[in-house]
Amino acid sequence: MRTQAQRKLVGWFALIAALFVPWTLRAQQSTGTEQSPKSVQSGDYNVQQSIEFGYRDSIIDGNINNYDTFENLGSGVRLFDYTLNMRSKNHNGLFFDNLTFSNFGYGGDPNDVTRLQIDKNKFYDFRAMFRRDKNFWDYNLLANPLNPASSVPALAIVNSPHSMDTVRRMQDYDLTLFPESRLRFRLGYSHNVNEGPGFTTLDGGTEPLLAEEYHYTTNAYRAGVDFRFLPKTTISYDELLTYFKQDNTVTDQNFLYVLSDGTPADLGIVFNTQGNTPCAVPIANATTTPPTATATCNGYLAYNRIGRPRGSFPTERLAFQSNYVKNLEMSGAIAYSSDEDSVPDFSEFMNSWTSRTASRGATTGGPAKAKRVSVGANWAGDYQITEKLHVVDEFRYANWRIPGMWATADTNLYPTPPAAPGQAGMLLPIAQVTPANFSTVCPTAPYNGPNCPQHSASAAADVVNELVSRFLAQNLKTNTAELEYAFTPRLRARLGYMYTSRTIADFNATFDTGEMYFPGGSTASATNDYLAARGDCALVAGALPAGCTLDPVTGIISEGSPTSPLPEAGNDTSRGITDIHENALILGISANPTDKLRLSADFRFGYNDNSFTRISPRQVQVYKIQATYTPISWVSIGGAIDIHENRDNVLTVNNLQHDRGFSLVTTLAPNPRVWADFGYDYTNFYTQADICFAEPGSTVFTTPCPVAGSPGPLGALSFYKSTDHFVYGDLMWMPVKRVTAMVGYSGSIVRGDTLFLNALQPTGPLDFNYIKPNVSLAFEIYKDLTYKTAWNYYGYNYKGIANPAGLAALPLQDFNGNNVTFSLRYAF
Amino acid sequence: MGRVKVFNSALVLTLLIFVSWHPAAAQAQQADSSKSAPQTATTTPEKYAGADACKVCHADEYSSWEKSPHWKTTLNTRQGPSHQGCEACHGAAANHVADPSNTSGLFLFEKASPKEINARCLVCHASSTEHMQAINSLHAKNGVSCTSCHSPHHATQAQFLLVKPQPQLCFSCHLKERAQFAMPFHHRVNEGLVQCTDCHNPHGTERPHQLRASASQDAVCFKCHADKQGPFVYEHEVVKVEGCTACHTPHGTPNPHLLKLSNVNLLCLQCHTASFANAPGAPSFHNQAAQFQACTLCHTQIHGSNFSSFFFK
Repeated sequence: MRTQAQRKLVGWFALIAALFVPWTLRAQQSTGTEQSPKSVQSGDYNVQQSIEFGYRDSIIDGNINNYDTFENLGSGVRLFDYTLNMRSKNHNGLFFDNLTFSNFGYGGDPNDVTRLQIDKNKFYDFRAMFRRDKNFWDYNLLANPLNPASSVPALAIVNSPHSMDTVRRMQDYDLTLFPESRLRFRLGYSHNVNEGPGFTTLDGGTEPLLAEEYHYTTNAYRAGVDFRFLPKTTISYDELLTYFKQDNTVTDQNFLYVLSDGTPADLGIVFNTQGNTPCAVPIANATTTPPTATATCNGYLAYNRIGRPRGSFPTERLAFQSNYVKNLEMSGAIAYSSDEDSVPDFSEFMNSWTSRTASRGATTGGPAKAKRVSVGANWAGDYQITEKLHVVDEFRYANWRIPGMWATADTNLYPTPPAAPGQAGMLLPIAQVTPANFSTVCPTAPYNGPNCPQHSASAAADVVNELVSRFLAQNLKTNTAELEYAFTPRLRARLGYMYTSRTIADFNATFDTGEMYFPGGSTASATNDYLAARGDCALVAGALPAGCTLDPVTGIISEGSPTSPLPEAGNDTSRGITDIHENALILGISANPTDKLRLSADFRFGYNDNSFTRISPRQVQVYKIQATYTPISWVSIGGAIDIHENRDNVLTVNNLQHDRGFSLVTTLAPNPRVWADFGYDYTNFYTQADICFAEPGSTVFTTPCPVAGSPGPLGALSFYKSTDHFVYGDLMWMPVKRVTAMVGYSGSIVRGDTLFLNALQPTGPLDFNYIKPNVSLAFEIYKDLTYKTAWNYYGYNYKGIANPAGLAALPLQDFNGNNVTFSLRYAF
Repeated sequence: MGRVKVFNSALVLTLLIFVSWHPAAAQAQQADSSKSAPQTATTTPEKYAGADACKVCHADEYSSWEKSPHWKTTLNTRQGPSHQGCEACHGAAANHVADPSNTSGLFLFEKASPKEINARCLVCHASSTEHMQAINSLHAKNGVSCTSCHSPHHATQAQFLLVKPQPQLCFSCHLKERAQFAMPFHHRVNEGLVQCTDCHNPHGTERPHQLRASASQDAVCFKCHADKQGPFVYEHEVVKVEGCTACHTPHGTPNPHLLKLSNVNLLCLQCHTASFANAPGAPSFHNQAAQFQACTLCHTQIHGSNFSSFFFK
């Protein structure tokens, strides 16, 4: 945001610049354009360089977080472009023959990019790229709990609970040695780092806002060799090694309240006191600073989580391409990957109060490991039967499986009885008991001594040791055979058939390797084993279920052990198998009826006999038509139709989807001094499906759920439709050789509708106009020195309902962004 | 797995047979030198004129070609004049030099069909890793030739001799994508951070939409979004089975995080309604009106988790 004084300064600067323009125009003789590349000869090299730098002033009104989420272009000095091209005149430079080096964005823009290419004929080709992008993301409607205004207090969540401000730095280096030879070597390395602060949330008695520090790194190494000893045949072998490491930390730093003893407390971000979230009366005393929280409310006193996933992804790949056999072109590859991701040191600790389970926190840990073993192969052949007739066959095989395992080591913490009058909820001490010291700390029934953990009947096990085993796999085979016929040199058509077979398998199993239920609680009695008989070990007809053992000395009930694991209650070890077969007809036409007209059309009609999800289509129809017409050399008219129709409209699903796009574009270039480009795109997106959900007390949704046995009592036809119009136009005009003016506009006009489950939900991204006009002027003020000034406007104008009645008011989504840039470009 | 091993073994065996069988055939092949030359080129060296002869009349074309990477064809002494200079692409020109009106022996790109043009270019370029899957090229099948995007003589981009820079080049035909990338939520293609060719190989891949793959044969998305790749103990199965596009529209949408729907809950409920075995229905304690505006408020690790079957952490 600019101050008033700064705005005046910018205004004066713009005025001076505007006055400077005509004066300069009069003073200079036009001898060329700012686009004309200048080059100098330096030794054996032809060298072209240009640099453009300047200042951008950004004046933003409205929702700055949205502007930064969408554009994030701020004020400051910027390097808009620096390009260096060097070319050996005789293609025989000492170290290189060609060098291209380009950069933009440095100085504070969200996207900074450097690209470098150096090559020397026959010897090497080296490419490097550095990309740094800032990801500021705070669109406040995502994950917003939409707290009601009627809540006491009413807490409006003005920032997205999942906002972030991260930076990603990506480096890619690729070197090809002896690119022209029969034996070619390729080496590559990529290094990607993504880091920065953000926020996340957690499920619990209430949902706390947690600060998450993102940091993950990927290092990828590539080595390959191409053999070209066989005529018209290339065989390639690649070894790819990727390593991933993540070091995110998550902590609760959002302590906006205190308890009566001064302990900072977090009541979460969901405030709906009528719905007892975080409780009916969360603030015990609003006059203190900060306000005093009610101790029996759901809340957090501390939370932290750390884990360091480490992944390795080795891949071997063998590929070939050959034209050796007459009239037969072939290519293919086979690859094997064995990925592994392990987290040896996951640790989570929460000090909290959950009223439903009377829990005072938990710790979670235990090593986890998952693998992904993948085998992929493909083959494609194009056989020319006659001069006009081709048959093309493409086969692809992809098989992967992901076994995973987690050995959990969890403890659930419970409070002691009140140590002082009035002590409750978050103020209660946490019982410091372990299986080893339990009999000492809490020696006798009914286990309600000062240090004994106190449970409710629904409390989870105190100690949880489980072995989690998961498995997911897919086996895919697909083959496409096409006949391609050239009716004339200007008309070709394709007719094809695609068959795909997929088998998806999953398997989940959890085994107890040591669950322990400590006794103790206000409802403890001898008849319920002093509340140790709960959860999996709840009494059945007055007796412990099989697998649960009561220790008569400590009163602890245990279930399973490392040497005698027991299936977790409800364990479903059956393997799920889903088979899907798709048959599809493919049609294609490409035609050049005249030299001025080019047409192509692609159609696909597919049918799947099953679907993996409710919105995976059983019926697929794709219609793509594209045309380009050039009536005269400087006029080009293009049009496209792109329609996707997907359906899974079986009983109780009723899923229909379509994505229909129609586009037109016209380009006019009557002479080098005038150029125009304008177009329009219309897209209509629609999806629907029957859904079931719970909404107790609803007067809006009263239709019984169409799905038998669904836990959701209400059903509805969910729908989402979006009608998007996109218009754009650019006009470039060079009134004199030294001056280039450009005017442009692009606008996205989106109107939509959807099913609103929550009456407090704003229309959000359903209705808005997003327009981006721009004007720029460039003139050469001296030989090879060009002054540029540009104005870019970004206007997001919300057209829907921003704050429905009853919602704790959120900031408006609108913003108006004016960016003015002043720059100099020098070619040397 | 047994079938997989059998299949892999068969494929490797096929390749070995092909390679081992090949030397004998290669000798025969070498005897017929015409096979290594472009199909439309005449095979006797006498009919080649050399690039300098072309320069006399086609000075502008020669000048642009001389500055381009294609100049290096003149260094190709191993494969002879049919792979050198102007005639490497345009065919033997001796007859044309003798009689400029005689273009019968030349390969004229403006007269050739897209398939002929592609075949012409692939004589040299087929062996590069970018072009090895050219048979699968959807561009080629739709009549888009190499010279639709590349111009050896009139390129505006030194790198790859493109006729226009990305993404404008791609937007020339892919009109709908231009609108998608102008949406508030989009991948930063217009900004120059990401290029179309980062995700797609315009020359063809074995995957749908000419998509590239990650190094470990997974979705190309994971090259940048590495934290979503896993593998996880608790996979959100749809991510791996149906891919990222089950929930996201990759180019750009009106919706945050490139989601297909404006409301996260509806997106989740479309699958998580208990009429389908693969996705459990939403439990009855999820009151859609009272509190949970977004499922991802609690299910934050929705792409996969190692420590929560409900993707809480």
